[in-house]
Amino acid sequence: MSGPLEGWRVLDLTQGIAGPYVTKLCSDYGANVLKVERPGVGDASRNIGPFPGDHPNVDASGMFLTLNTGKHSVTLNLKTKTGREILLRLAKEADLVVESFRAGTLERLDLAPERFAEANPSAALVRISNFGQTGPMRDFSADDLTAYAAAGILQVTGEPDREPVGLGIYTPLFLAGAIVAPMALAAMRAAHRDGQQEVVDFSIQEGLAGSMDRGGTNLVSFQYSGALMVERRERVLINSLPNGVFPCADGYIQVTTQVNWFDRFCRVIGRPEWITDPRMTSNLNNPLEIGGEVEAAFYEWLLPRTKQQAMEEAQAVGWPLSALNTPADVIRDPHFRERGFFVGIDHPQAGHIELPGLAVRFSDTPGEVRRPPLLGEHTFEVLAGLGYAPQEIAALRAESVI
Amino acid sequence: MSDRRPPLDGVRVLAQGLVWAGPFSTVILSDLGAEVIEVESIQHLNPTRTQMRHIPDVVMESVGGTYYVNRDPSEGFWNRQAWFNYGKRGCKSVTLNLHSARGRELFLELVKQSDAFIENNAAGVVDSLGIGWDVLHATNPRLIMVRFPGFGITGPYSHHKGYGSNMEAVAGHTMVRGYADADPSLTPASLHGDPNAGAHVAWAVQAALLARERTGEGQLIEISQSEAVLHHIAYDILDYTLNGRETGQRGNNHPAFAPYGVFPCAGHDRWIAIAVTSDEGFAALSEVIGAPELASDERFATTIDRLRHRSEVNAAVGERTGAMQNEQLAKALQERGVTASALAHQQEMHEDEHLRSRGYFNSITHPEAGTHLYPGPLAKLERTVAVPPFQPAPTLGQHNEYVLKDLLGLDDAAYQQLIEEQVIGDTYLESATA
Repeated sequence: MSGPLEGWRVLDLTQGIAGPYVTKLCSDYGANVLKVERPGVGDASRNIGPFPGDHPNVDASGMFLTLNTGKHSVTLNLKTKTGREILLRLAKEADLVVESFRAGTLERLDLAPERFAEANPSAALVRISNFGQTGPMRDFSADDLTAYAAAGILQVTGEPDREPVGLGIYTPLFLAGAIVAPMALAAMRAAHRDGQQEVVDFSIQEGLAGSMDRGGTNLVSFQYSGALMVERRERVLINSLPNGVFPCADGYIQVTTQVNWFDRFCRVIGRPEWITDPRMTSNLNNPLEIGGEVEAAFYEWLLPRTKQQAMEEAQAVGWPLSALNTPADVIRDPHFRERGFFVGIDHPQAGHIELPGLAVRFSDTPGEVRRPPLLGEHTFEVLAGLGYAPQEIAALRAESVI
Repeated sequence: MSDRRPPLDGVRVLAQGLVWAGPFSTVILSDLGAEVIEVESIQHLNPTRTQMRHIPDVVMESVGGTYYVNRDPSEGFWNRQAWFNYGKRGCKSVTLNLHSARGRELFLELVKQSDAFIENNAAGVVDSLGIGWDVLHATNPRLIMVRFPGFGITGPYSHHKGYGSNMEAVAGHTMVRGYADADPSLTPASLHGDPNAGAHVAWAVQAALLARERTGEGQLIEISQSEAVLHHIAYDILDYTLNGRETGQRGNNHPAFAPYGVFPCAGHDRWIAIAVTSDEGFAALSEVIGAPELASDERFATTIDRLRHRSEVNAAVGERTGAMQNEQLAKALQERGVTASALAHQQEMHEDEHLRSRGYFNSITHPEAGTHLYPGPLAKLERTVAVPPFQPAPTLGQHNEYVLKDLLGLDDAAYQQLIEEQVIGDTYLESATA
């Protein structure tokens, strides 16, 4: 179905997580995305997995599949002169070029931003790198965990008496991709409007450092009050009521209970008499006095219930208690099911797969999650489209240009 | 001559963007040049500014006070708040009591002159105020509306109350990121889904603007924060859908590499993150930490061996790093091609030579908060947003005159009447609540 970006053309030189997420958004929402990959090898995420049956296969790596839906794949060896010439011919047709090579790589390949401007002055070039295209740390490597460390957020993530703990594998890089995505559309808009190239220098470190999962706000708080949030937070009892993660019949739940929700809490756990009991109501902020008793009653209600049952009963009265879902729970979850969030796709190598679907829902131009490409699946048709004859394409293949 | 007009020049966005997704969407849109007008009121506290009309000393002295300039609780503290002043930099503020007929009428007039309205009020709020999609679309067919509640606007959980930690829980995020060897009750909230949703809002507004150029019509966009964050644990979701496998809490463990994780360094609570992804990398690490014998230990010979002996190899590395200074060690490892970063804190970020050389921190003078350094543009758009025209965040109701007189054409008498009727104002009423 037509998406909001229908008619826009994107040349995708990215690999890994952050860059491909930017171009995935373009692709799922209607843009025509042509992904350029290294012959024989392809995007690094083709080697990440998880693989069906744990059998490595560049065409069936889960991370590649989910990040490259609907794109077209052409292989090009950019270390060859012909490969670069073909690339610039493709750039001529693109409104947006996105790359995530190590900083400085394009210049080394004689593909500096000016070359793209010559090919199409009305296009944007978005450059995604670990630490940006300038500065003393420009050439340092990073991955999701170390980027989160360099962004100043890992230090405050975790328990105070333990080592800091990251967010789950690859997670910060998805956030980096989400942050650069609006910048990419803005750059494309400005380039198109002005007929002048726009180049974006995005540093993953800087994007995460300024984000609002404590990065940016902690930096400004430090300026405002001198407070150094170096240490991971102590878990403090915010009141006498249950707050945090608790075990239930089949797993765990997460709950927040503010004192002004005491009546809802009492009704749900079957202690309505507490609502008017001054011994309770006068001690709602005094956990030492009644916290143990409250917790015992809470467990008495919670332990026989599944996480789904507990959530439904609590949320029915506006008490924010939620199931701590595992991946299996998420796939079966009635809410995501009813909303049709997961999308089934038939793939020639991976079979029938279910992928996370459209998180942004447009009422009139919804977009669509389409099958990700095999490595080089569209090389022939793309080159033919540029006017290469079949024999010439065969020659390029023989010379390992494609 | 290069054109330096920002990309979203001429685009007007009305915002009721609450913590945290809201302010993250507005800082991006504002940095990109949109005119973002925060629609507030003197009757209801804007939770990005404060959740309390007066801040008790006990709160000011706690972590909750660190967000206010010099922890000063005197009147107007809501104009001196870090979250708001970062997330709303360059935005404008109008106060309109949307519960009053006049306030609602003026809001609809403003909608006629706006390109987008973004909101993440609690479920049902915009409809009960009479500013739901049908009304706004009829008022201005070109208006784009973005709604981004925690669980979406349809489905069994659409009425669920929740914070970031609830959305992460339901999306499966909490259960895969906890310490590998600990109970889930020890997994801290990450607040990661909020900036993610905010970035998607800033993206969606622009995508809809491009679609509008083609169709001439605005549209309603819905972003469920929990669905947006679900992509981030794709690895574990797909391992389940493809292989039926649930690894559970991974902590800092990587499925394919070891040693990998956060290791202690010299000093109190100092750490380094190290990612060794090859045998050569492990040999280099062993040398840099003064333990070349590790590379020849047969338990650690190959990646597969090290994964089999993950806790042993991690312990052996941690034993050596514990005596080393984290930044120097990171630099030494990077020079040998090993991916590593010191865990930095805010002061180190401010003093960081690399970030300074890139001009990451920028000074903004706010009329009430004073002059401070703020994180820079989240990306450098070299022609149009390289040196952003950073303006301070607005004080409450600072742009009432601009909005009501300049945009909506009210005369002095009508404006004065709005003040008297408390439809607008520039300080919270004593009775204001969250």
